[in-house]
Amino acid sequence: MKLSAPLTVNWTLSYACNFSCRHCYSRDIEKEELALEENLKVVDALSQARIAFVNFGGGEPLLYRHLFEVTEHATKKGLKVTMNSNGWLIDEEAASNCAKAGFRSVGISIDGADAPTHDGFRDRPGSYDRAHLALKNLCAAGVPTTVSTVIFKGNVTRYKEIVSQAADSGAGTVYLHNFKCSGRGMENREELDLSPSEWRDFYEDALAWRDDAPCALAFDDPVIALLGEESAAAVKGSTCGKLSLHLEPDGDATPCGFIPLSLGNILTDGLKKIWNDSDVLNQMRNKEATGKCVGCSVYGECLGGCTARALATTGSFNAPDPHCWKE
Amino acid sequence: MKKLSRNPDLVWRDEPEEREVILNALMSGDESAADKGWVIIIDKGSMHQLNLLAGEIWLLLDGTLDEAGVANDLVERYDAPFEEIIEDVREFIAECDEKGWLA
Ligand code: SF4
Ligand code: SF4
Repeated sequence: MKLSAPLTVNWTLSYACNFSCRHCYSRDIEKEELALEENLKVVDALSQARIAFVNFGGGEPLLYRHLFEVTEHATKKGLKVTMNSNGWLIDEEAASNCAKAGFRSVGISIDGADAPTHDGFRDRPGSYDRAHLALKNLCAAGVPTTVSTVIFKGNVTRYKEIVSQAADSGAGTVYLHNFKCSGRGMENREELDLSPSEWRDFYEDALAWRDDAPCALAFDDPVIALLGEESAAAVKGSTCGKLSLHLEPDGDATPCGFIPLSLGNILTDGLKKIWNDSDVLNQMRNKEATGKCVGCSVYGECLGGCTARALATTGSFNAPDPHCWKE
Repeated sequence: MKKLSRNPDLVWRDEPEEREVILNALMSGDESAADKGWVIIIDKGSMHQLNLLAGEIWLLLDGTLDEAGVANDLVERYDAPFEEIIEDVREFIAECDEKGWLA
């Protein structure tokens, strides 16, 4: 089904951040930020296009000083608003403000089962404890929480502990994210990213454990089609540009945060034009099998895997995902 | 009979342009088009697509009609026999009820 507009907009209100994570796609990007009035106009445009979900990411969303005003306006317009935060700034007061502004849920990034792993990866001493405290503060304020964990060499053997600790701190779902090869993720890839066979072993283990895990597990890697997984979404392969779109602080749209290709500006070009007429999106929606994807029995489900990773490592939308372990 | 309403907590969106595509395909003899989705429902992290008839029924569940009312509306618009349509309506409503999609 071709959608008239994205269902989800991942919106970076600001690239400012108080952390300096080793895998961050955005830490070195700088962009002008829109004024509050302009961001409220963006909300109106999203509401008019009947976008269902808005997820604030970044950057650290809480560093954007009008976050709660934009959120309140969006929830009043019927949008379901969530955000991903590193949790550092979510004390009791901020958690209560999240509840008042109408956040449907808040995701906290936790990448280690202990402070040295998490704090080292995120280059911020104390951040492991504050991330768990953020989860507890949000729970106490009545805001549902999730946890986002980027799987990398330093945590893959202990991901079950991360999940159990997240559940103990009140998270309903843990997103076990694949490693993206963008920004610092690309620079530090050799050291941090798993090999294809390590990805296979991880997914086999995690999928087998899923039903016994203490909270829901979610995966975002199309390559797990190789293990018989079918997408729960209405589209196959990557969802970027088919179900979702990313907005940068200046209103420029990109297919997702990990693909730094501007498609146009939501305030000057309009969402409809960007969504319907972009060559980049059309290429992403109509990928063609190349290399080992040709003749792959799960191509219809996987569509070559993560387009952002393929593009970052080969320069082609159609190249096989570098994480794919198929011979 | 009970008036039927959608669960207000559910996130859903209809795609009128896709509905047009389906109707045009049916007019040109492609009967399989009736199974294509044009309404999306997001429930517990999963995305469901409703086909032509299910989508039409879904849009009518605004709290003003009961099962017979929904069927009558479709009978008029699709020029189909009431007995057939009411069966489809009952089946879809039972499915929605089971999934918690009704208020
Ligand atoms: S990954 Fe998130 S928390 Fe870490 S530096 Fe990047 S934006 Fe900040
Ligand atoms: S060969 Fe291509 S289509 Fe098949 S699983 Fe690997 S990336 Fe996906």
